[in-house]
Amino acid sequence: MKKILIAISLFLSFNLAQAQDLVKKIPSNAFTVATIKGDNVFKLMFVKDFNESFVGKKLLTETSKSLDKNFTSIEDFGINLEKNMYYFNQLSDSITYNCFLIPIKDAKKFESLIENKEKKFTQQGDTRTMVLPDSTSIIKWNNNMLYFVTGSIRGSFFADSAKSARYGIKDIRFQSEDALAADGVTLLADSTVAVTAEPMVEEAAAPAIAKAKVQKKPTVKKNTKKAVATKKSRKKKTAKKAKNQEYEIIYPEAASDSTGMTPVRGLVDEQYDAYQQERAEQDLKKKRLAFTWMKAQADQIFNGTYESIENNKSYTASLDNKAIAELWVSSLQDVYNSVAPEFGTYGKAGLMKGYGSLNAKLFMDNKSFRISTGLELAQDQADSYKKIMNRKLNKNFLKYVNSEKALGFMSYSIDTKAYLEEFPKFLKQTYGSFMGARMDEEIELGSDLFSLLLDEEAVSKVIKGDALFVINGLKSKEVTYTTYEYDDDYKQKEVTKTKNETLPDFLLMFSSDDHRLINKLIKYGIHKNMVTVENNIYKIQEKKSPIDIYFMIKDGIVFFGNSLSEMQSINSNQQNNKISKLHKDLLSKNNFSFLFNAKNLVGKVPDSEIGGVETAKKFNSTLEKMGNVYMKSNPIKGRLVSADISAEIPNGHENALKYLFSLIENAAK
Amino acid sequence: MNLKQLYKLLLFIVLIPILSSCFEVVEEISMKNDGTGDVVLTINLSQSKTKVASVMLLDSVQGYKVPSKQKIQEELNEAVAYLKKSEGISNVKSSSDFNNYIATISFSFKDVSNINNITKNILAQHKIKATNTSSYIYNRATKTFNRKYQAIGTAKTEFNKLKAKDKAVFNGATYTSIYRFESLVTSSTNPASNVSKSKKAVMLKSSIIDLINGKINVSNTIQLSK
Repeated sequence: MKKILIAISLFLSFNLAQAQDLVKKIPSNAFTVATIKGDNVFKLMFVKDFNESFVGKKLLTETSKSLDKNFTSIEDFGINLEKNMYYFNQLSDSITYNCFLIPIKDAKKFESLIENKEKKFTQQGDTRTMVLPDSTSIIKWNNNMLYFVTGSIRGSFFADSAKSARYGIKDIRFQSEDALAADGVTLLADSTVAVTAEPMVEEAAAPAIAKAKVQKKPTVKKNTKKAVATKKSRKKKTAKKAKNQEYEIIYPEAASDSTGMTPVRGLVDEQYDAYQQERAEQDLKKKRLAFTWMKAQADQIFNGTYESIENNKSYTASLDNKAIAELWVSSLQDVYNSVAPEFGTYGKAGLMKGYGSLNAKLFMDNKSFRISTGLELAQDQADSYKKIMNRKLNKNFLKYVNSEKALGFMSYSIDTKAYLEEFPKFLKQTYGSFMGARMDEEIELGSDLFSLLLDEEAVSKVIKGDALFVINGLKSKEVTYTTYEYDDDYKQKEVTKTKNETLPDFLLMFSSDDHRLINKLIKYGIHKNMVTVENNIYKIQEKKSPIDIYFMIKDGIVFFGNSLSEMQSINSNQQNNKISKLHKDLLSKNNFSFLFNAKNLVGKVPDSEIGGVETAKKFNSTLEKMGNVYMKSNPIKGRLVSADISAEIPNGHENALKYLFSLIENAAK
Repeated sequence: MNLKQLYKLLLFIVLIPILSSCFEVVEEISMKNDGTGDVVLTINLSQSKTKVASVMLLDSVQGYKVPSKQKIQEELNEAVAYLKKSEGISNVKSSSDFNNYIATISFSFKDVSNINNITKNILAQHKIKATNTSSYIYNRATKTFNRKYQAIGTAKTEFNKLKAKDKAVFNGATYTSIYRFESLVTSSTNPASNVSKSKKAVMLKSSIIDLINGKINVSNTIQLSK
């Protein structure tokens, strides 16, 4: 068993396989499909390099050790490393299949992996089948592919007695199943609950009843007086309930509180055992049923003909042949509805209405790691988003980004007017179904009221909907503090000293065409002594704030910042910043962007402020290893919204995969 | 994003170098020959006031709840109230400066050993089992002032359990004790201690980390001239 698990985990740990081939085997109704593309992976790192890497060596020696073999290359596992490896799952109301499809290059080599004394696989033609010892999984393979399936019965299905009866399965319960399984003592301590919580006793089969009856007598005899008394009163209470049942269940109230109670406890234990046995039988039936289903499913995948996922447009559209790994989930709405019965009544509420399939792709190249995620929307929702996203960042913002010093920035641009107009729709869509049809009118009313009260046009002039927050480096600032000096008599004298503190210089900008409201606010602030003004630059008078915050309005932009000198240079048009192409593209082409440039932080914070030389060294070396990290939203394409996260790798590394391996190696050291 | 959230974001950025902060703890005891005296305890966070001011605006930092100004003032008042009730203690005063983040408590005692009970009770209140970790004895007859100190073993283990990030808060924190006398000091046994030029005061400065780790022992026996 262990060997098989190792063999399987081996497969999972590599993914091989680009495969126009095995994807054909994935049924079109698969729910989730995950792919690891062997050829793309081993383009970045040759098999030989992998074998010699820290991770590769570790893997080979560990497997060699546990299988008592001598592996020198991952090719020894018999997998076709140039093809795609797939995971997919299939859901139904009664069973969930988790499946793996792995391309095989050398079936003999693979068999040697799982070979042991009792070689238990069967062969039919060139198809070999192996059932894992506890019958929970099946492995089937031939000379080209391997299929692994494990199925799990869904509890909610067999909780429905009509359905489960069809399969001759009974749903029995003792107390709370989980509580019992977790801790038998809990049951004893809480016996009152146990009695009342036995709605399924009618299901109890013959063996359990017989045992319960037999056990009753000796228990009474052995009991201490107190226990008998307790038991009698308990008997009365339970008598009524038990009338139309075939036997009484006697749960002593105080079973858990003394050692003298062991016999009583014994009774409960016996009954519990009976219940356990019954349960085990039912579980076995379920397991057998699951196995039958699994077997049929595996045969179907191996030999049957059916529509493949290749015909699913949403799936094929999500693919990218440069990706290292891909994940596709058919539809959030479907996922939600299929798991929802187990969540209770909100199941069909359609909370996820309007959201379609989801995909994620991982890319690695000689410059960076990149994860790209996409979500399909319903058409009307996509239209709404398009309207909202129809704004570009104010180009003038770019003048105020200093790429040579910038530690990072974050920007977004939306059309405030469109957002306010579309907002009620989202509200209705999300909460409308949640509240039920009866609330439709109220929600409609609320939406209209919202539109009536807000003049979207006017609001969008005050806040156009774009903003940029940028940290243009660090600045050291002199601060005073109080400490003590001691004279010849060690008399304490309070003295004020100064020291330098390093603080980031931030600048926040947003566009505004209509300053009347802002100007009124400023006037009010000045009147109330909350704001002071000097050369068009306003300072917020907030005693509690540890930093000074200035703001001003210039050329339709409202600026906030903590550096007076920066504000002054903006005010007098003396900014002389240079923006890099990466920064410019990120900011001007996307509705949302975020960037963190760790390198510009290296060595900029004095050691003393990080907590000593040693901490500072660690801090700086971590930062040095980081390239730019950035995030951006892509323009909406059709009904697909998507976003990318990228992390650049430092110079001196061939590609991201090798860099990742070197990181793992360093971490393991 | 509303203004409060913006403010928090800004603070978060300001707090990037939060890793360390400096603070001073000063304990001053002025002994009279008759055994009575005064104590002034000072906690001074002024060197870290930017950070403290930022932290005070947040609800919690590094997983710890940040007490409000009122809460701190309340605790201080409680301490004062407690001291006022304590045996042999009088003239209790406290001050707090929330601009520079300095707090002091001062009081007079009949006998220096009155302090010992206070520490013991306070520790007991906080459910810290500590026997004789720190005590003061003044012997009027021999004119010896004795400070006994034993690093609390559990403090070290508890401290070592903290995350590196949290430990760093104590980097640069100092503890200073000053004992002042009416008579001249003839000897001071702790090698880390210094006797003032006037020979009437003894000072010992150490880092709080060393104190917690037991690297520095502040025990001292000071002999005064008879």
